[in-house]
Amino acid sequence: MKRRGRGIACMWYPIGFTVAANPSAAVVKINEDGTATLLTGTVETGQGSLTILAQIVAQELGIATDDVHVVSADTDTTPMDTGAIASRTTYVTGNAARLAAEKAKNILFEVAAPVLGVKPSQLECADHKIQVLGFPQRNMHIGDVADRARGVNGQPPIGSASYNPATVALDAETGQGKPFATYVYATQIAEVDVDDETGEVEVLRIVASHDCGTPINPMLVEGQVEGGISMGVGFALEEEILFDKFGRQMNPNLTNYIMPTSLDMPKIEVDIVDSYDPTGPFGAKGVGEPTCVSTAAAILNAIHDAVGVRIHSLPATAEKVHAALKAKRAQEARQITAGAA
Amino acid sequence: MDKKPAVIEKEAQKELELLRAPAPAPLVPLPIEVLVPEARQQTPAVRQRATRPDARLHGLGATKYIDDMYLPGMLFCKIKRAGIASARILKVDTSEAEAMPGVVAVITGKDVPCNSFGPSLKDQPVLADERVFHAGDGVAAVAAVTEQIAAEALEKIQVEYEPIEPVLDPLLSLQLETPGIHAPSPNIYGHKVIKKGDVQKAFADSYKVYEGQFRTQMVEHVPLEPHSSLATWDANGRVTIYSTLGRITLGRADISRTIGVPMSRIRIVATIVGGNFGGKNEITTEPVVALLSKKTGRPVKCTFTRPEEFTSSTTRHPLIMDYKTGVTKEGKILGRQIRLVLEGGAYCSWSETTLGKACILSAGPYKIDNLYAEAFVVYTNKTMTGAMRGFGAPQVCFAYESHMDDMAKDLGLDPLEMRLMNALEEGSLSPTSQKLHSVVVKESLLQAAERFGWKNGNGHGHGNGNRQ
Repeated sequence: MKRRGRGIACMWYPIGFTVAANPSAAVVKINEDGTATLLTGTVETGQGSLTILAQIVAQELGIATDDVHVVSADTDTTPMDTGAIASRTTYVTGNAARLAAEKAKNILFEVAAPVLGVKPSQLECADHKIQVLGFPQRNMHIGDVADRARGVNGQPPIGSASYNPATVALDAETGQGKPFATYVYATQIAEVDVDDETGEVEVLRIVASHDCGTPINPMLVEGQVEGGISMGVGFALEEEILFDKFGRQMNPNLTNYIMPTSLDMPKIEVDIVDSYDPTGPFGAKGVGEPTCVSTAAAILNAIHDAVGVRIHSLPATAEKVHAALKAKRAQEARQITAGAA
Repeated sequence: MDKKPAVIEKEAQKELELLRAPAPAPLVPLPIEVLVPEARQQTPAVRQRATRPDARLHGLGATKYIDDMYLPGMLFCKIKRAGIASARILKVDTSEAEAMPGVVAVITGKDVPCNSFGPSLKDQPVLADERVFHAGDGVAAVAAVTEQIAAEALEKIQVEYEPIEPVLDPLLSLQLETPGIHAPSPNIYGHKVIKKGDVQKAFADSYKVYEGQFRTQMVEHVPLEPHSSLATWDANGRVTIYSTLGRITLGRADISRTIGVPMSRIRIVATIVGGNFGGKNEITTEPVVALLSKKTGRPVKCTFTRPEEFTSSTTRHPLIMDYKTGVTKEGKILGRQIRLVLEGGAYCSWSETTLGKACILSAGPYKIDNLYAEAFVVYTNKTMTGAMRGFGAPQVCFAYESHMDDMAKDLGLDPLEMRLMNALEEGSLSPTSQKLHSVVVKESLLQAAERFGWKNGNGHGHGNGNRQ
């Protein structure tokens, strides 16, 4: 018989390396038509980080995502970056990109200020324009200012910057210190069906509520959460590298190493927690790794809720759940017998 | 009704205008972009659901991965794997392979100028030369005109091994005296302690003290695109390497060290990478293809097979986790003691980071004033473990959240309420006494519970488990 259960798990996860420096540098060039180019040494590994970085630069310059071209991942042309690791790209590379864009923007402000008859500090970027704070009708198109910066002032609008998260080394004996600049938090709740005859677990639904600071791109956050949950489902129920007694892998292939396919995926509902981190670019933190952290815990708690067995080792394969159910029944039978006696 | 003549005239003119042929369309090309601004074209840019510029290429199957790249005269590289978990290499005979038609060059560990690398400990060889530490170690590499010939040539390479008893159990490795697997280095190659308050006193003051042991398995990242690299030298002795690396700046440093070429003469281009998840954070085939390309004067490419992706790249650390927690009758956590043993496999790789993060995060997102967390990482003769999405966090979360539910059940508490009671808050001190900011554990718990319908009893009630 299929038995329904639910399980909750929350987590915390840091952004960036543990104490160790993990800087990013970035270069932003504003073109004469008001579009821009970002140079970054990070690598797009499928998560959409280059789109996030384009959005951060675009926001700083008051232009659209499409107006920012990103050149990445070439040691000959792009500046140093610690890379796509430790959920750090939005926060660390994002801060570097924002600072680089700000430096380029300040050149535009210097150029536009005398034309608009104000101080550079009275200007802002919005909707492809450089405008006077509080008087948006007094403005210049960002492209006109960029062209003027090059052609009249002789100062091409280029900015470069780097960023490294602030940390404090841990005490060698007690481990006390500030290992990370910031953390994110999340909760996932799983709903499962467990077949109490076969031990098979079906994950029906996962509700995920994740903090990433400001979501620079909510669609890419949702994509990360869905991908992380698929890894979590595999970690919870199926995936395991097996070794023979000589230390050789027994299942190094996708025929015998079982991982979830789209057919195994539960219904996923993603919410982004309202949050703002003043140290991140426009309040953003990060989201990559944390998405797969609490999935297995939530599923295993749901199995426990459904059939009352605690699986202490992953993955909770049907065999393992079945064996635990059998042991539980045997124990209950002994208790009944003892009670009768 | 009477109409004034002027009005009638105006209406007549309107009718005439309607009958007139439309003005010819201006001679401009059709707009190629949609007129309504999509998310990518809107300001402000932040919070827009902007699509990715590479999405269209992926959708059309037009993305060029390294395995889709072919340079004129390019050779294909295959790596001979040891297939034995622990051994001394007595002899590698490549003569028969080298004599095969179509085989252009063969190299072994002896051909690698500096045969060691690693993000913290430099304990990993590019190709094993004296000692095999796990079955996935490479012992020789072939460059041939086709992939098939390269694969056949691997069969002709004769390696003589003197087997050494492998250490496969991390708990056994923990007990073994030095010299260990990597003698003279000890088997325990990383140790971390987080200490705060007085755990023993907290346990003495507790209403109940709970214990539990939890274990996790070794898993692979399984990126859709396996590790791949392609090297080509120019006449000035400068090498360009196309690579699936997720960290090119540090990758270049490792390549420079291993092949003995200054960084200014190395260009790394990371193309679009088909999945990383932490598995592409360090060099694998890059020095091998660079050396084979240098030896042959031709571009050389190497792409991992799916089995190599499992046996010869990093994996997730299996953990053995012992938890002990003291609580009040109401469910407030007073103290927690944790012991983690991380199985590091054959090489250190990113174990230092995994050890640190697992240890710091192991207390969970909870206010715990009295804490003692201790973590060890040990060598075994199994596949190396390294960076993988979460760096130890999914493992410890499985332990602290299973443990939490076990305590809640025994205390007769709602698992949600027990978490809310103990959750970190704005300004709370972390296990390392860091004052935390923008903390939203409770908000995420409540938001998820609301969406799920937790308080309405959704998903609850069929089972005979943790029923209220």
